[in-house]
Amino acid sequence: MTDLVTSYGNKVELDNSFRWLSRENGIPGNPAIWVGILAEMTEFALMFGILFIAKVHNPEVFSAGPAQLNTTAGVLNTLALLSSSYFVARAMAAIRADRCRDAVNWLWLAILAACIYLGVKSWEYYWNSTHGISTETNLFFTIYYYVTFNHFLHVMWGGGALLWGIARIKAGGYTAKNHEGLEVIASYWHMVDLVWIIIFPLLYVLH
Amino acid sequence: MSHMKTLSTVWLVLMTITLISAYIAEAAEPSTIITLFIALSIGIKGKLVVDHFMGLSSAHPRLRSVMNAYFYVLPSLIVLVFLFPETIAELTQL
Repeated sequence: MTDLVTSYGNKVELDNSFRWLSRENGIPGNPAIWVGILAEMTEFALMFGILFIAKVHNPEVFSAGPAQLNTTAGVLNTLALLSSSYFVARAMAAIRADRCRDAVNWLWLAILAACIYLGVKSWEYYWNSTHGISTETNLFFTIYYYVTFNHFLHVMWGGGALLWGIARIKAGGYTAKNHEGLEVIASYWHMVDLVWIIIFPLLYVLH
Repeated sequence: MSHMKTLSTVWLVLMTITLISAYIAEAAEPSTIITLFIALSIGIKGKLVVDHFMGLSSAHPRLRSVMNAYFYVLPSLIVLVFLFPETIAELTQL
């Protein structure tokens, strides 16, 4: 058994099987967030698996589906999420150099990018509805709404975590010496970006 | 190259790959080459984010392998679904 000390000073006892998921092994954050990240990625992998199976059983519907979507919205959202991930990486570099104000500014940019994503995605759902597209249009759109709305929720609470990160930096909670909590938030945010890297081509690009 | 420069370069590469993929989505007809390109672009983008943005390039090999495997397996499945849809449909029949 080993102990971890959280950013709040709480001691956490870890099972030996999770010991390797520690910062001593160059892994940012803490073991708990990596268990969460891997669980989330598995959940999305299952959704992708369902999409693959549905696609081979309904080739016409899945061939026509991407062309009916608004590709510009998909591209804008991809650029927004990749940029937000970059801004978060810059925020981490800033906090490690003890440049707290820079870290906050980079995190605000990340939140702005997240808001752009949420705004564009909401508009895209509205655009779909004006073009007669709904969850019940066909199997492609049922899966499209299930996957993208699920991802939408992850961006929402990930964005909330970024806001929390800003509040903690401003309160002096994260510094160059103590920023494990911010690494947790950053790692989660990058996971949200990673998942979208697969969603975008699967739903918008591959016919 | 400094860490900041590396991050900025990675960001620009990711944006460029995304725009090329988007252009393909609009312009090209589905083909094996296009599917291979898209699968490769997913793999490259995933690896860049994992290594540079997440900062796992020097992390414990077990976690790095799991994260990288995600971006080997899923793009490979995309190619398999494109190349052998009927076989996969037969295998997944209830």
